[in-house]
Formats: sequence, C-alpha cells, structure tokens
Amino acid sequence: MRTWTTLAAVAAMALVGSTSSLLAQDPAAPPITDFPRNETLIIQNPEQPAQNPGWFNLWVLGGGHGTSTGLHQLAMDTLWFIDPDAGLDGANYNELAASAPQYNADFTQLTVHLREGVYWSDGVEFTSDDVKYTVDTQMSDPIWSWGARFSNAIASVDTPDRYTVVFNLKSPNARFHSMFSVRWGGAWIMPKHVFEAQADPKAFNFNPPVGLGPYVLNSFDPNGAWYIWERREDWERTAMAEWGEPGPKYIVYRSIPNIDNRLIEMVNGNLDMIHDLTPEAMFSLANQSETSRGWFPGFPYAHPDPTLPMVIFNTQNPMFQDKRVRWALALMIDPMQLSMASYRGAATLSAIAMPPTGTHTDDYFEPMQEWLIDYQLDLGNGSTIQPYDPTVGQRIADAVRPQFGDAVPTDETAIHKSFGYGWWKKDLDAAAALLESAGFTKQGNQWMMPDGQPFAFTIKTFTEGVMNRFGTDVAQQWTQAGVNVTAEVAPRIFADDLPLGQFEAATAWSIETWGGNPDLSYFLDSWHSEFVVPAGSDQRQPARNWQRWSDPRLDDIIERVRVTDFNDTQANIELGMEFLKLMVDEMPIIPVMSFNVFSAYDTRVWTGFPTAETNPYANIVNNWSNSKYIFTQLRPAAN
Amino acid sequence: MKEYLLFALQRFALLAAVVFFGVSGAFFISHLSPINPVESILGEISSRATISPVAVEEMRRSLNEMFGLNMPLWQQFLNFWGRLLVGDLGPSLLAFPTPAMYIVMLALPWTVGLLSVSIIITWIVGNIVGGLAGFFQNSRLLKLFGVLAIGIQPIPYYIVAFLLVVIFGFLWPVLPISGGFAMNVRPGWSIEFVLSILHYSILPAASLVIVGVGTWFLGMRALVSNIVTEDYVTYAELAGVRRGRLVGSYVIRNALVPQLTALSMALGGIFSGTIITEQVFAYPGLGSLLVRAVNGGDTTLVLAVSSIAIVAVAVAIFIVDLLHPFLDPRVRVG
Repeated sequence: MRTWTTLAAVAAMALVGSTSSLLAQDPAAPPITDFPRNETLIIQNPEQPAQNPGWFNLWVLGGGHGTSTGLHQLAMDTLWFIDPDAGLDGANYNELAASAPQYNADFTQLTVHLREGVYWSDGVEFTSDDVKYTVDTQMSDPIWSWGARFSNAIASVDTPDRYTVVFNLKSPNARFHSMFSVRWGGAWIMPKHVFEAQADPKAFNFNPPVGLGPYVLNSFDPNGAWYIWERREDWERTAMAEWGEPGPKYIVYRSIPNIDNRLIEMVNGNLDMIHDLTPEAMFSLANQSETSRGWFPGFPYAHPDPTLPMVIFNTQNPMFQDKRVRWALALMIDPMQLSMASYRGAATLSAIAMPPTGTHTDDYFEPMQEWLIDYQLDLGNGSTIQPYDPTVGQRIADAVRPQFGDAVPTDETAIHKSFGYGWWKKDLDAAAALLESAGFTKQGNQWMMPDGQPFAFTIKTFTEGVMNRFGTDVAQQWTQAGVNVTAEVAPRIFADDLPLGQFEAATAWSIETWGGNPDLSYFLDSWHSEFVVPAGSDQRQPARNWQRWSDPRLDDIIERVRVTDFNDTQANIELGMEFLKLMVDEMPIIPVMSFNVFSAYDTRVWTGFPTAETNPYANIVNNWSNSKYIFTQLRPAAN
Repeated sequence: MKEYLLFALQRFALLAAVVFFGVSGAFFISHLSPINPVESILGEISSRATISPVAVEEMRRSLNEMFGLNMPLWQQFLNFWGRLLVGDLGPSLLAFPTPAMYIVMLALPWTVGLLSVSIIITWIVGNIVGGLAGFFQNSRLLKLFGVLAIGIQPIPYYIVAFLLVVIFGFLWPVLPISGGFAMNVRPGWSIEFVLSILHYSILPAASLVIVGVGTWFLGMRALVSNIVTEDYVTYAELAGVRRGRLVGSYVIRNALVPQLTALSMALGGIFSGTIITEQVFAYPGLGSLLVRAVNGGDTTLVLAVSSIAIVAVAVAIFIVDLLHPFLDPRVRVG
C-alpha cells in the first residue's frame, strides 16, 4: 500500500512540477482565435524549434531565436531586395528605399531616398531616424550582429531630412549597399522609438516584435515549434503594399523535423508549403497528390538555389597545386552517374563556377556555350581535347524519361533549365595523360604520385542528404579510376573543417550568388588573396575561399569589380565571364550543380504560387525572406 | 530511529558527494569538447550573409570576451560553482543573454510529463501482466502476450514510431502527428489545454509504451517464476490462502522490490530526453535541446541539463534508499 502511495505521490509531484512553467500566461498576448483554413496559409519552417522562442531581437549576436519563423519574412524590412528569381517586375526591388542606390563618383558616399508613407506596426511612421539609429546602435558595440560590418565600412550617417539618409564610407565601396540588400536576409531596420526606450537594448527580447512588414505576431508556441502571424489592418502602410494586399489573413510557420510528417501533413491538407523534402519524398508526393507540385511541374521538381555544390580542393595541399591534377580528377567523373547517385537524376548540372539558376542561365550559361564547346584542354603531351559535352542535360532527361514519363520535359530550353546544359566528358585516357605529364605513374590500377606515394586522399562531406550522396559517389568514381579516395562525414564542415583547412578535398560550396543579378560580389570579394591565410597556420580562413586559392588574375578581376557600378549590368557580366573562364582554365574547384531544393506547395486552399514554366516571380524555398512576395499573389482556391 | 537517522545522514553525504563529483565531471567533460560556440555562431551568420574577414575577426573577439572563454579553465570552474550555489547556471551561449535554466525549463515539463507518464504506464502494465504470466504459466492469453512482447522488443524504436505515424496520421488520420498541443489553444490551467496536451501525446506515449512494456514484462515474469517455487508460497497455497491474495501480497509484492529500484533509475534517466520521439513527432523536450547544445558547443546549456539529470538521479536513488527499509522489512539500517 505504501508503495502505491509513494508512487502516486511521485507521479503527482512530477505532473504538478512539470506543468507549472507551462501555465504562465502572458497578459499582453493577443486573444487566441480559430484560424479559418481558407484564410490561413500554413508553411513548414526548416529550422528546428527555436531554442529561445520568446526572443525576437535578431540584431544581437546569438540570441537563440528562430529567424525563418516568419520573423524575417513577414515582420522585418530593409532598403532593397534582390530576388533569386525573376521578381514580380524584375529581380531588383526598391523596398524601404524609393529608388536604386545612388553613389557619388568615387563610391565614398551613398545617398538613399526613403519610401514615404510607411509605418511601423504600432502606428509610428518610418523615417530616416530609424535608419540612422540602426547604424549608430549597431556600431556602438560589436555584440550587435551588424556592429563589426558597419564599423568597418561606415564613417558616419547623416539625415538631411525625414526621408533621406546619407552614408559616408570609410573607403570606396561600390557595393556597400549590399548590406541593406536582401538575398536571403539583410541588415534589418530597427524601430528607434521602441529600442531607445529600453534600459539595455541588448538584453531586450523585442517581444512582441514591432515591424515594417505587413504582418504582426498573433501567437507562438512556448516551445518554439510554431509561430502565427496576422495581416495588419493597415497593410497599405507597408512597402509591400505596392504589390497588393497579401492574400492570407493568417500565416503559420511550423517546425516539422521529420520529413515523412511533412509529406503526410501536405497530403492531409494541413500544410500549404514545404521548405524541403528528399528526392524520393518529392516523387511520392507528386504521385499521391494531384494538387501538390514543386518548382517545376514535373521532373526534376526542385528549385535550383543560387548556391553551387562542388568539389573543393585544398590548394595549399601539395597534392592539388598542379592544375593538371585537378583537371584529371574532373575528367574521371561521369556526370550522369553523379546526378543519378545524388539527386536520382534531378540535378541541375553546371560545368562553370556559377549556379545554373535565376538570371544566370541567360546572362552566363547560354552565351558561354560556344566558348565551352570550343574550349581546348592541353593534356601536356602535345595534344589537346575538347572536354565539354553539351548534351549531358539532354542525356539525363532521356535516361529518366522511362520512369517519369511525361513529367520529364522535352523542350530543349526546359531541359537546360531543369537538368543543366552540359558538363565535362568522362575521359580516363585524357586524365591519364594529364597525370603522366604531371609526373604521376600507374602501378596496376593505382595512380602513384611523383614522390612514389600512392595518390590517395580523403574527401569530407555532409552527414546526410544529397550532399552526402554526392561526396560518397565521387569518392567511389575516383577510386574506380585508380585514385584511392575515402569519403568521411564532417558534422561541422562549415564551422571547423573548411575554415581550419582540415581537409584535403571536400564536397561543399564556396560560390553563392544573388541569383537575380549577374553581379558576383556576394561571394567573390572574399576570394581576394589578401584574405588567404598562410598554409599550415591555425588561423581560420574566412568565408568563402575555402579552397584557399589565389591568383594575380583573380585579384585583378576582384579589384575591378570593386570599382564597377553595381547597376552596370553589362560591365559586371563581362567581369563575370572573365572570372568563369579563368576558373575553367585553373579548375581550383570542380563545379557540379546547383543546390536543388525539393520545395513543394499545394493548391487545394491557395492559388497564385510562382511556377518555373510560366511565372517564376519568387523563390518557393520559403525560409528566404524574399519569399514574402508570394503572399501578395495568393488568393483562396475556387473550391 | 537513531540508527535510521544515522543511515539517512550517511546516504545524504553520499548524495552530496555524487552531485559534486558528477557535476564537476560534467563541467570538465563539456569544456574538453573541441566545439567552439563562437565559431558555431559565426558559421551560422557567415553562411547567410557576405561579411568581410575583418568584421568576422572583430565579432570573434567580442564573442569570446562576452562568453568569458578567454579565462583560464580553473577560473571558469570556480565561477561556475559560485553561480551554481546560488541557483544561477549562467546564460546560454547560443541564446545569449537568456539564462540557460530558463531555456531548460521550457523543455523540461514536456520531457518529464511525457516520459514519466509513459514509464509509469509501461511499468504498471508490464509488471502486472508479467506477474500474472509468471504465476499463471498455463494461460494461453498471457502466453500470447509474452510472444508479442518478445516479438516487438527487438524492433527499433524509430520503426515503431514511424508505423504509428503512418497508421494514425496517414492511413487512418485520427490523431495529430506533430506538436505538443493545438495551435488554437492557449496554455493555461484549463480543461481545454490539458485535453489538448493529452490528445497530442497519445502517439508519442503509445510509441514509448509499446517499445518499453516488453522489458518490464519479461523481467517481472522471470522474477515471479522464481518466487512461485518458494516454500512460503507453496505453504500459503496449501494453507488455503485466497488465490487473489496469494498472487498480490505473497508473490507480486515481493517481486516488485527490484522492479521498484529499476523504476526509480528509469525515472531518473528521463532528464536526458528522448531525441527520436521529439524528432518523429515534433514533440518538445530536452533531447533535441541537449543534442543542439552539444553540437553547438553551448557548454552552459549542456551543464544545465546535465546538472538537473545528475541531481534528479541522485535524489531518486536517495529516496529509494530511504524508503527501502519501509518497503522490505528484511533490510537492516545498522
């Protein structure tokens, strides 16, 4: 009897103790209401549940807040947006700025004219004071997430009137405005009237957030698994009003870690947008739900992000300092096998150092086809080859058509957009000639280096997913070709392995672009030799030149980019072409494909989503802040 | 009584020593990790923006200073115990400046609630059925239960959890498969909220019970199978003791003592959470929190969870030690 009494007491204590902290009510929280399904858009947030759910002050380093909870998509705003796709009326948006960036002649001053009639969600007007406050506050302490970046670039900020901001820069910088331009996120503007009232703004949780976006926070899960946003009644007083009233009255962002659950929830009608699935899950979804689709209406479904998965060589390692060796390894790879192994054929291949997405296919890929086809690779033995195969995309489409039938495009342009143009031919004889010219020899099936050691190394890769498959398959192909390569998973590849140079080769990425703009500054500036850390040192290589490659010709291109007007599209494309041709010659990285994200949406409740084939106005990968433009185009489905 | 008080004091001293060495060990082990929380934060920021290397270096310096990571380890250890003795575990490094204990307390109730209830249900069902199976060894129904228990036990937990998701979330969608409670219910002392929690915990709890009941069943069945052969049981049966009283008071009660100890150990172990359950069902809890803290190098949060777990297990054992003399008259405290 006493045993049961004891057990009952323990259980009661556990229950009471465990529920007490759950039951603290916030008297300031808005009333909970039912959310009519035809007024609610439900989105899967790829983040894990927020570690610090009630913290919305995303200007402080760390913080533990969720970002893709709707916070930066719906509530935050800044001066410009650059869409990774076509945009509603071009990819470049003037958001809080009324016009494009205006620099002085030597790029030491940027003048911004702000959009008038924009109000914070608490009814206070947005003015130049908010921009100045944001910059001054961030610069006051490096703990603010933009503090160091602003301090390095900005000398001072002036506000000659309520709607004009003048940034005085410390040195010429034609791309300073990119700090306030959203690719995925950007330097969000702080509400001066809210933060200046706080005793310690750095310790302020900013709950509920006061924003410039068209939505306000309705409620959130105390454990960070969901956030519900409600359309502002005065949505016309936001920058997004230019594109119309956002359709959904409520938008819910839900964390759903298990991929199977995402699929089930969408099939059951409880999810309208999925951030990402595995290839197999996407194929299952397409089979089971007529109203669900990806970026492409059929195979390969996925949206190609402006990120370029690649093989990265640590060029400070003596093994990879000879470009003939790097080229030889590239020619040992069968691109079709790589595509099938990593993406089940749904990869969008790229032979050049550029993601095949957004405007890049028109700006770079199409114009470069002739050059690539005619490109001659010197094998070092007096002969040359033309290594480029422009038919790879077509061949992959033909290979998957028996399984996916009419879902696979037949139109050449559609095939190029879906599967890529071409890639390098697998040519083991040419690879052998290159290695032999570099002093390598072959013993049986094993290549030996000039010093007599076996040509063997480790390639670091992701722990799971398509990148893991990619790394594993390329290791296997090289091993079959006589180079003994071991794939090794690296859980902290971007945090430690790549920055510390603790790798010989890796499958990751060091190229990310705007997507909707041909300018390469987003990643390219960090590749300048001034940022390459000495070989063997314990210094961290800053993002993104993980390959630690430097070349005077590359420095020259970067220095010219720095002083070229961001809006001079033609000049930037010409510089981009120079860069791409240099990368083909030297092959410090082996470009492979765009990072295809199997995002999906369902049209049972909402219509008006972007489509790759007819209306690619926004990125459906919904953790990007620019996905917010989708909401202005959504309307309830007819049924 | 004097002997019992002495016994209790000795056990308390042992408890204090276990907590001290356990928590100190957790401190040093967590600080030996090569994972640097500063680099975790910088890696996250760098992956989403383009930042000049000079700016990154400044941010690195500021974060190291803010987190106190540039102090010698022994000084960090002393600071840690100084704060711990006043109940302050310090701010979470990856959710700075929010206190680590605050973040733990957000997740703890869900873990304690789900796991304690699941374990108790599993324990009760497993031991009752196992006890009956051990006594009524010819019962076909109980034999069938035994076959099922043995058959299910080796199935990996994830498979069982996933099957439940598919059956009750997809094929026959009658139960929620994600979350802790409905989005249109406000947390608070209300029947609506409690019912919502219960509703959403059905599948996670069922998955834990299905996988866990076999172990208790098999253990109890083995214990009872031994006890029924004891002389005193045979004597009681021959003496005409009522069957129900024989099973409950003479057999199962004696077999429960080791099972009770095992229960206290199991309850003490719930503070590490169950990561797979939380991932499959998107259920809030300590498991995911702990994994993220370890992977991100958030030593403060790791220590917060570890300290709670160490104290909970030590206290659970302490309570069982104190209760043992009352539960089993054969135990002497001198």
